[in-house]
Amino acid sequence: MKRKRSVGGILFDILNTLLMLIILVLVLYPFWYVITCSLSTPSQTTGSLLLWPKGFTLESFKTAFETEAVYSSLLISVERSVLGSAGMLLVSGMAAYVLSKTHLIAGRFFRVFIIFTMYFNAGTIPIYLTYQTLGLTNTFWVYIIPMLVVPFNIVLMKNYMESIPPSMEEAVLIDGGNELTAYFRVILPICLPVNAAVILFSALTHWNSLMDTQLYNSMSPHLYTIQYVLYNTVAAQMSQTLEGARSAGSAALVNSQSLKMAFTVITIIPVMCVYPFLQKYFVSGIMIGSVKE
Amino acid sequence: MSVLSSQKTSVHSGRFGSSRLFTRLNRQKYLLLMLCPAFLLTAVLCYLPLVGWWLAFTDYHVGDSLFGGDFVGLRQFSRLLFESSDLGYLIRNTLVINGLTIVINITVALVLSVLLRELLWKPGAKFVQTILFFPYFISWVIMYSIVWALFAVNSGAINQLLVSLGVIEKGFNILGSAKYSWGLMIVLNLFKHTGYNCIIFLATISGIPQEQYESASLDGAGRFAKIWYITLPNLIPTASILLIMNSGWIFSNNLEQFFVFTNATNWETMEVLDMYIYKFGLQQLDYPYATAVGILKTLVSIIVLVVVNKTVKKLSDTSVF
Repeated sequence: MKRKRSVGGILFDILNTLLMLIILVLVLYPFWYVITCSLSTPSQTTGSLLLWPKGFTLESFKTAFETEAVYSSLLISVERSVLGSAGMLLVSGMAAYVLSKTHLIAGRFFRVFIIFTMYFNAGTIPIYLTYQTLGLTNTFWVYIIPMLVVPFNIVLMKNYMESIPPSMEEAVLIDGGNELTAYFRVILPICLPVNAAVILFSALTHWNSLMDTQLYNSMSPHLYTIQYVLYNTVAAQMSQTLEGARSAGSAALVNSQSLKMAFTVITIIPVMCVYPFLQKYFVSGIMIGSVKE
Repeated sequence: MSVLSSQKTSVHSGRFGSSRLFTRLNRQKYLLLMLCPAFLLTAVLCYLPLVGWWLAFTDYHVGDSLFGGDFVGLRQFSRLLFESSDLGYLIRNTLVINGLTIVINITVALVLSVLLRELLWKPGAKFVQTILFFPYFISWVIMYSIVWALFAVNSGAINQLLVSLGVIEKGFNILGSAKYSWGLMIVLNLFKHTGYNCIIFLATISGIPQEQYESASLDGAGRFAKIWYITLPNLIPTASILLIMNSGWIFSNNLEQFFVFTNATNWETMEVLDMYIYKFGLQQLDYPYATAVGILKTLVSIIVLVVVNKTVKKLSDTSVF
């Protein structure tokens, strides 16, 4: 079907397409630059906007993976992303199921008790002292335990569960099963789309997290995450923090630009890999959340 | 079924209060058991730290036992409010950076969503949207790394290019100069959040009834008239709701963002309340003062949130949605 088009309309279409192309370049080029830079020979990278790697080499990645800190921190980051998101699904999922029950004793109290923490926290120092008193600081568990209960995810899952007809779980309950069985046998599998969304989002939050290492584990180099190692490598020279200077030992190893970019690429790649799934599930997640919250 | 039966029970045994409660507890023991982990974790990790607010009223020094400091009343609060001039620049930085970020992010996303919808090649629009959303998932450390790669004073690619072209004498010191902090934060937030906001606007656009466009066409409305009289007016309620809801967070900052970008050379225009608390608490180990500043911040944020929520409710009852 052909539309009659005015000169103004055609001009608008051309300008609009051009604008979108410019936006694409503005968003994509920084990432592309980081990648090309990491693949270039270190001495040749400085000072130009590259379109293709200059003197293609995998040397920087080889050096990066030979750095003990990179290897161990990658492992820590993967561990916390996997364990953290699985634990979150277990704890927050059960809570969401219980809170979705309208006949729950003191239901309103429990709902407010948990959801209120979305808008409020006791502050950096009181939380730090609490974790210290509980013996969480300088352990791996400080990454996992505080992120098991995520109110936002609970709200998302609860909304989804409320849309499931009660008849689905009644079969189990009538046969003398309890809610625990009903949840794990029936409800959890039905919630697959929302589970995927919250798991991906939680894993990503774990992967991207920087401050918990800085606040609670900066004295334990064996617990550094990849984000923290990247931070120390790239940003510490500008930082006013003493912590930065302390870990300068690891930064001194890496001073060439392409090596820093290789670190950055290593940190981005996992995000790129899960992005197609993230995009698919997260968009629906935003929608559920914004409509019903 | 279980809902029905438990309600029936509660009606019948209404006269025997305690035994009714016991029956309900017994019926719901598995539910309560399943809630237990989340409840205990929230209680211990989110509410127990409130005990630490006591520190703000003492002169606690690191090394004392937790309740070892002497009570000093509101001394720590008056240090921030009356004795130092820090509050001025902290509030200014927070409001300028967050306020402008909110307004600019929403405006850009609104315009961009309209333009995306007008793209003739629909898969192209989908592609742009997908790419735009990616930076939302990138950590602030990586953002720093990218800015550093492109704009470091001596080694940044764009700075070097501009210098070699003779456009400027010396590279822009974007990361280490008080001049650029506000602009940098606003641009980076735009880079990170435009995709997210566009999704919300595009969903609103796709919810506009097609009949509105069709009847406008019958009335002879052109493309621009349809944008101006149908698309934009339909987006205004979403924009205002987003604007108001985001203002609720105006005193809260992403600590990671400011931790990474604040340094000794740009703190005057970069430091916000959360960074200030971090600096005094964990670097200078002045726990009581940092706690006091934190309490003030929390109280102000809650007031703002409550006011904003009330406003949203009022608006959505009358004109919006």
